[in-house]
Amino acid sequence: MSSLTTALEKAKLREYPILEEKIKTVIAGLDTFKAFLFECKMAGFSLCADVMGVDYLEYTEFMPERFAIIYNLLNPKNGERILVKVFVKDDEPVPTITDIWRTAEFHEREVFDLFGLEFSDHPDLRKILTPEDLDAHPLRKDFPLGETPTLFREGRFLDPAAFRAGLAGKDAGLSGWRGGSRIDSSLVPQLPTAVPSKER
Amino acid sequence: MAKVKDKQIEIPKLETRAEVVIPQERSQLAGGSGLLHTEIMRLNVGPQHPSTHGVLRVVVDMEGEYVKRVEPHIGYLHTGFEKTMENRTYAQNFTFAPRMDYLHGFGYELAYALPVEQLVGAEVPDRAREIRVLLTELNRISSHLVFLGTGLLDLGALTPFFYTFVEREAILDIFEAIGGQRLHQGYFRVGGVAKDTPDGFEGMVKAFLDGFDAKVDTYEKLFKTNPLFLERTQNVGIMSEAVALDLGITGPNLRASGVALDHRKTTPYSGYEQYDFDIPLGTHGDSFDRFVVRVQEMRESAKICRQALANLKPGHIQDPNRKISLPPREELETSMEAVIHHFKLVTEGYHPPKGEAYVPTESARGELGAYVISDGGSMPYRIHFRSPSFVNLQALPVIGIGGLFADLITVIASLDPVMGDVDR
Repeated sequence: MSSLTTALEKAKLREYPILEEKIKTVIAGLDTFKAFLFECKMAGFSLCADVMGVDYLEYTEFMPERFAIIYNLLNPKNGERILVKVFVKDDEPVPTITDIWRTAEFHEREVFDLFGLEFSDHPDLRKILTPEDLDAHPLRKDFPLGETPTLFREGRFLDPAAFRAGLAGKDAGLSGWRGGSRIDSSLVPQLPTAVPSKER
Repeated sequence: MAKVKDKQIEIPKLETRAEVVIPQERSQLAGGSGLLHTEIMRLNVGPQHPSTHGVLRVVVDMEGEYVKRVEPHIGYLHTGFEKTMENRTYAQNFTFAPRMDYLHGFGYELAYALPVEQLVGAEVPDRAREIRVLLTELNRISSHLVFLGTGLLDLGALTPFFYTFVEREAILDIFEAIGGQRLHQGYFRVGGVAKDTPDGFEGMVKAFLDGFDAKVDTYEKLFKTNPLFLERTQNVGIMSEAVALDLGITGPNLRASGVALDHRKTTPYSGYEQYDFDIPLGTHGDSFDRFVVRVQEMRESAKICRQALANLKPGHIQDPNRKISLPPREELETSMEAVIHHFKLVTEGYHPPKGEAYVPTESARGELGAYVISDGGSMPYRIHFRSPSFVNLQALPVIGIGGLFADLITVIASLDPVMGDVDR
């Protein structure tokens, strides 16, 4: 145990429950975590290695909230690490930490993109990895993996069942291709009109 | 220390915020003639291979000849590996892990294996550990060789590309012999490696390592004293230590700025504590340092490879625990129990107990770790890769501005982003 962690523990850590000893994991509240992260930075954890989101919707154990954000801090001098876990509700803005570490810009955009969690006061909160017209957050547990239609904006619509049926030649499928000749365009299944996600 | 009780904390203004660093006397807009019409030009670069590292799109605002603003657009290679891996068993996921960073695949396999082993409590035998270290370091060399070849290609030097790819082919031949594929082996397993090394493996590695240091000297001769190269890279894209830490940069890019952070030394994993090697450090943090640090790292990796090869003793290559690793083929013909274990492992896989694990490793590009959350099932509940290139690319809008456009390409090359690693 280094002096830095000891100092940190004396100062603040005691107020937070420690989950794991192997890599020290701490649970912090949504209102106080930013102050704690800043204190960690002052205590030597000057590199924010990672910010990741978790969706505990289908977890087998009870969790305080549906989502969690895990901040992964590193002391570059000795490789010490502390994980700070913050539980957040859906549709509840999380204070950004981009004013403490600039590196959090991309990380928070990633969490916003893949989980749909919003960060207040983020300088440039846009989607980062998924296509601009994908109207969903893929890493949420209720986002299905295949087997269900994926709705894009501008009316683009991908229905895997129809797509496979088209490949097997049973049905017109998405492209209207039935293995041989182009068929009448009226036989192509009508695409549902795009509905904004809020209404869904 | 800040007052912790208050919700509103005072965060001091950091000095590491990027400012546009175009000197006023060079700026046409500030001091130019009022009769001339001047405006900022927006230039789109990409989205295909601006510097042969993958599909990166950069939107650049140019003020005359100088780069004023850089905005990277990523996601072209996003394949949703994390979501896919949540829906596959732990053993199946070894197929996906190396495909993210296609230049340092073994690094990803190792980063995935370590936390899963921590969760299931698998013991890795010595021989398997040394094979892993040996392959990971060989792969680091091959990754740096691609960096050096394509990086110098970006600067317009065609020759080094052919030199470095000769050695890279030798390494890929070794990988082909061991796993059957050149880039994505899927060779590691939880608790060891898939099968033992083929006959003649040690000879192949030894033959490669014997001549390698001389080859590195040749590479250095090709670029290190070349006045054109020095002119293009020295004092270009300077990243100070404070900026690097603020941006979360790790790996050779951080070490070029003078921070001795190498997870193989600071938090050793997979038996790295028994190897004797140095951490090359840069002083200025410019593009030149980033090139030199990686070339020196190749030598250190070769050193580790030699030690691992000398340590390689015959022995087990997998955890003997039949609940984790598959039984050998010959046992299946004689033992009913082996057949049952085989069936259970192949159809269902093992169930790590509930828990979360993260083991930081040092990939060729920086800190790489898999955060694995298990809910007791046979598939990871959530798996997140802390991918180094994703973070390192954030340096581009900060250190890529203020210079000529060609300097921006130098900076992209010297940061060594692998877009598969960025987008995952």
